[in-house]
Amino acid sequence: MTADRAILSRQLEGQVALITGAASGIGRGIAEVLHSRGASLVIVDIDGDAARQAAAEIAGNGGAAMGLSGDVTDPSTLATAVDTALERFGEIDICIANAGVIGGPGFSDRRDYSDADWDATQAVNLRGVVNTNDAVRPHMAERGSGRIINIASHGGRAPREDGSELGSIQVPYGVSKAGVIQWTMHLALQIAKHGITVNAVCPGTLWTPMWQRIAVMRSQQQARYLGMDSKEIFDRQIQGSVPLGRPQTPTDIGNAVAFLASDDARIITGQALNVNGGATMN
Amino acid sequence: MTQQQNETRQLEGKTALVTGGGNGIGAGICRVLAERGASVAVSDISLERAQTIADEITSAGGTAIAIAIDVTDVASLDAGVSRVIDEFGQLDICVPNAGVVGSQGFSSRNDFTDGDWDATNAVNVRGLVNTAEAVLPHMRERGYGKIVNIASQGGRAPRGPDVILGRQIIPYLVSKAAAIQWTHVLAQDVGKHSINVNCICPGTVWTDIWEAVGENRSMFEPELGATSREVFDAAVETRHPLKVDQTPEDIGYAVAYFASDQASEITGQALNVNAGSVLS
Repeated sequence: MTADRAILSRQLEGQVALITGAASGIGRGIAEVLHSRGASLVIVDIDGDAARQAAAEIAGNGGAAMGLSGDVTDPSTLATAVDTALERFGEIDICIANAGVIGGPGFSDRRDYSDADWDATQAVNLRGVVNTNDAVRPHMAERGSGRIINIASHGGRAPREDGSELGSIQVPYGVSKAGVIQWTMHLALQIAKHGITVNAVCPGTLWTPMWQRIAVMRSQQQARYLGMDSKEIFDRQIQGSVPLGRPQTPTDIGNAVAFLASDDARIITGQALNVNGGATMN
Repeated sequence: MTQQQNETRQLEGKTALVTGGGNGIGAGICRVLAERGASVAVSDISLERAQTIADEITSAGGTAIAIAIDVTDVASLDAGVSRVIDEFGQLDICVPNAGVVGSQGFSSRNDFTDGDWDATNAVNVRGLVNTAEAVLPHMRERGYGKIVNIASQGGRAPRGPDVILGRQIIPYLVSKAAAIQWTHVLAQDVGKHSINVNCICPGTVWTDIWEAVGENRSMFEPELGATSREVFDAAVETRHPLKVDQTPEDIGYAVAYFASDQASEITGQALNVNAGSVLS
């Protein structure tokens, strides 16, 4: 990583990136990579204290980062976050709509979806991305430039597994992520004339709190996973589904985001890129 | 090139082979890979063209050699790959890029011929297969390798009526769709050796191929433009949501990313680099 930092350290020098859901998991990984490439960070999270702590930990290495409380289901909190960020940094060059949920409360205890799962995934994963993009686009349009990168999922591509054993619990999540990909394409076409690119990154299988909840759910409900430890279930999933045979990390996702945010990707827009070891292909 | 691009040496110490590197998109890829620190074997069916690009890279302070490779000839590929490994010690990156739009006389025809099917299949499909097969024994043995195929946005499903979609270009489009599928199945096959296989789908870039396409359309659909370049400019204007010029170097930057260790978890993917004219 040290060598990478030296080689790529200037890639995003002087850029300001706003990232939602960035206090932990993939969002935190993205924040760390962008910071290592020279970007200043606006870390937005529903847990404002966690956002401020993440900002302090990352900026402790030098550079600028601020943590803000923001709920992506509430546009007024996003407007406040954007205003606060602009007061501090004067501009937002990069917007990463990352905040997401796997389902509603009690997800791990259900085999099939409930209304709560549809409501939560639609509100956060889809409308939350729309709200976040809409909060920054007037500023970007005015400047005539900007990079928007939405975090979808390879679960938003065509499904590979039938529901007979898995149940339907992950269906609302997949549908919401397919919505993110489609939204990304529409928005790209709508705002290309302002010089703004809009792309999506579709992460594959990462060992995150979200996957831990899926594994717990499987260990309780599926015959072949009964009684297995969550990490063991996760490893089996990787071996059975990923051509490269490895899980992905938040850093891998951050690297893809950094590429799409850089000058190297200046003519790429409206695309969704799977970062998933080849588990689904596009 | 911006300052940040100039300072990115993400391929320092790597070695690369590019086919069809003597002009157009291939030459742009060679230039960028060299700028990013890779030693580059510029191969082309014409040694003279390859040498011109290799010399240009060397004078700019990069490392490059020129090799004659005909991707339809397995013996020529095997000899070329051996030479690269002899010169550079190893081969980390392979960019099967050589392509044709059709056979002899393409520009003056308004329909495809057997010759167009044969040429596009031989170079754009079998040429990619031959190139990968020539480098894979070495990459499998090392448990490391990056293959970045060059297809085209024309290999995706068409979005609707388009100025270049006359019948004469159908074999080319089909061959590029095959290049994408070849990328998928090869990625599946060699993932266990930690070899990444991905594909870039360029959009509308002014190259010899586009010059031939524009000449053809200008002849048969004169309202599209009086010259090849006018047809091209009209295509850019009508097809591209993002109003920026697409250069061979832009394709090179995407190749450099897929060829780097920053993309080590990406395989089996095709990425459109096309200002948003086809989405996927």
